[in-house]
Amino acid sequence: MLLSPRSSNLVLPHRPLRLLAGAAIAAAIAALVALVLLAILATAAGEPSRQSRVDVWHLVVMTSIQAGLTTILSLLVGTALAWALNRLRFPGRDLVVGLFASAIVTPGLIVAFGLLAVWGRAGWINQAALALTGHPFEVPLFGLAGILAAHVILDASFAARILLARLDSIPEKRLKTGQSLGLGAWQRFTVIDWPMLRTTLPGLAAIIFLLAFTSFPIVLLLGGGPANQTLEVAIYAAVRLDFDLNGAVTLALVQIGICSAVILAASAFAPISASTGGSTPPRWRDGAVARIAQWVVLAFGIVGFALPLLAILIDGIGPGILDVASRESFWKALGTSLALGSGSAILTLLLALGIGMGRAASGRPLLRIGIGAPAYAYLAVPAVVLSLGAFLLVRNAGLLPETAGPVVVLLANGLLSLPFALATLAPPLDAIAERRGRLIRSLGLGGWRQFMAVEWPLIGREAGVVLALSFCFSLGDLGVIALFGTEDFTTLPLLMYRALGAYRSNDAAAIAALMLVITIAAFVLLPKLVGKLTDARS
Amino acid sequence: MLEAEHLRFTHPGATRHFDLSFAARPGEITAVSGQSGAGKSTLLDLIAGFLQPQSGRLALDGRDLLPLPPEQRPISILFQSETLFEHLSAQQNLALGLPRGATEQQSKIAAALNEVGLPGVLRQRADTLSGGEKQRVALARTLLRDRPVLLLDEPFSALDDETRGTIRTLVKSLTERHGWITMLVSHHADDVEALAARRYQLRDGMLFES
Repeated sequence: MLLSPRSSNLVLPHRPLRLLAGAAIAAAIAALVALVLLAILATAAGEPSRQSRVDVWHLVVMTSIQAGLTTILSLLVGTALAWALNRLRFPGRDLVVGLFASAIVTPGLIVAFGLLAVWGRAGWINQAALALTGHPFEVPLFGLAGILAAHVILDASFAARILLARLDSIPEKRLKTGQSLGLGAWQRFTVIDWPMLRTTLPGLAAIIFLLAFTSFPIVLLLGGGPANQTLEVAIYAAVRLDFDLNGAVTLALVQIGICSAVILAASAFAPISASTGGSTPPRWRDGAVARIAQWVVLAFGIVGFALPLLAILIDGIGPGILDVASRESFWKALGTSLALGSGSAILTLLLALGIGMGRAASGRPLLRIGIGAPAYAYLAVPAVVLSLGAFLLVRNAGLLPETAGPVVVLLANGLLSLPFALATLAPPLDAIAERRGRLIRSLGLGGWRQFMAVEWPLIGREAGVVLALSFCFSLGDLGVIALFGTEDFTTLPLLMYRALGAYRSNDAAAIAALMLVITIAAFVLLPKLVGKLTDARS
Repeated sequence: MLEAEHLRFTHPGATRHFDLSFAARPGEITAVSGQSGAGKSTLLDLIAGFLQPQSGRLALDGRDLLPLPPEQRPISILFQSETLFEHLSAQQNLALGLPRGATEQQSKIAAALNEVGLPGVLRQRADTLSGGEKQRVALARTLLRDRPVLLLDEPFSALDDETRGTIRTLVKSLTERHGWITMLVSHHADDVEALAARRYQLRDGMLFES
């Protein structure tokens, strides 16, 4: 992810300012993360020792089991979905591929709520069963099963999109050779597909494990009590509910340690590239039996992922939405969410551009790592931990959390999206520098001219994807706002969570539907809009 | 006159050493041929400034070029591919050959395109042009840059026979008309035969005049 090899006879344009800007941003992020960690460590050392009630070992075991199972199931389901999508051609295929691609930005809170809307006690299935048979059909959603279901819906869709891109990139000639040899469906998978997939699986597994390990809203909503709590939720509970700062700090340090170990292990694997674009299926189709299996897999996938989202839209967009819209608190939360989303999207884009261009300007591996590494800090310091550190910093500085809240949430949300933003922008920036560096240098183009004439038109679509990703992440965030939210400073996810806590499920459904519509609109429209404005390839 | 005297260079970690000397005159095409891997591209990179020799001298009319970075050397380069920015129009590609804010950009660009025989492609995107048209646009940009030295790195390799002949003729006539010092690197004997006033063979890291 960080150390991509570069050709030895590489000619790069001489850009000391870019290097400086990239290094300055990296240093600022590193300093901020260090400050957050210091605040956590200082609190751990300075707080009066009090018996903490947190059971660290139990939480680590529970979180690891949950994340491990999520990873295994998501990779299995994701591989099957990618296999089916790669083979099948049908009207609306692009829409289905887009649906799975959108998993990366779909807020966990919405998926968890959607599961309840379909499979919960008052959900569609149970209501239908009662109406048809007179007997309930209840699925135990609160607990490990519910958490796993919600995670697999999100992470298997994410995995499917990444793995589909790998299958799409199989060279045409290899497929033609396989087809001329008359390979069956299983042989084709083992001989042609598997070698492409297996290099991606370890890195993908590490990402899914981290996502599940640091998952917050899904566990908060579907955890069903302390028995299924994870580290993230326990940190939140220790700060907001138990006022046990010592416990929160201990958990945060354990969380950082485990995440860092996973990242270190993952850095040895092949990098995962972001995939949000289109997909073209090969012309070679499998036999009838395999195709039936592919249709079955795809049908289950679509129902599993789309049904909860559909339930949210159908349940949420109704008379209840007018009731919610009549409240001032809703408009305030909507305004705050949109402002934070837009602000953090722009911040993320600027930071990712600064770091990406700085890295691309250097051919030295160590310097490239130094500039790029701090951007991945979030993976080791997840949302709730980052938020806890910022909370402690603000408290130690004598400020009221509500005063610093908007700045901290904006900054934290910007940083949370940065790894994904950099993974999206860095490869094309590197490619431009590598492929065009010689020509740019021989023409003597200046840095600004290089950016405006060459880079910006070529990365327009990726810039749009970054804006959309960051906006959607921020819009769906509950981890950061959870510690800083107040009555006056509330976002849509926090408003929805409060509505659920107060058993106002109609309000929660309306807010969830609105968030889903905004997320889909931003995810679909922003890349197209920015791409149209800037992208020379469109 | 472009002269190199004992330009010595060794790629990091490589065992082969280059020791290159040559002379190239204005209004003439000097061709360098050699087998694949002989180091033809290394020679051009040394002249263009993408590589720095460990010792030796490279001068244009007595002026030392070695301290200059690539963008400040009085040199234009025509590559085999990637010679234009494909997402830009011909006009935008050509504008990159002029200093920012240059006066009469439009008329200069139009004149350059006329000179290479492509007056109608101004607004066409580079990726819609044929291989020969791309090389003509790149040559027009060379005209706009107005540098005395032109380096050609296998510029005809990707062209069909007919286009190849046309572009070769164009390069020769532009070189003569503008008094360019043109250095051609090619492993195609017919390119060398058709164009070169002076020929070198690159062998074992050294240039031999033939």
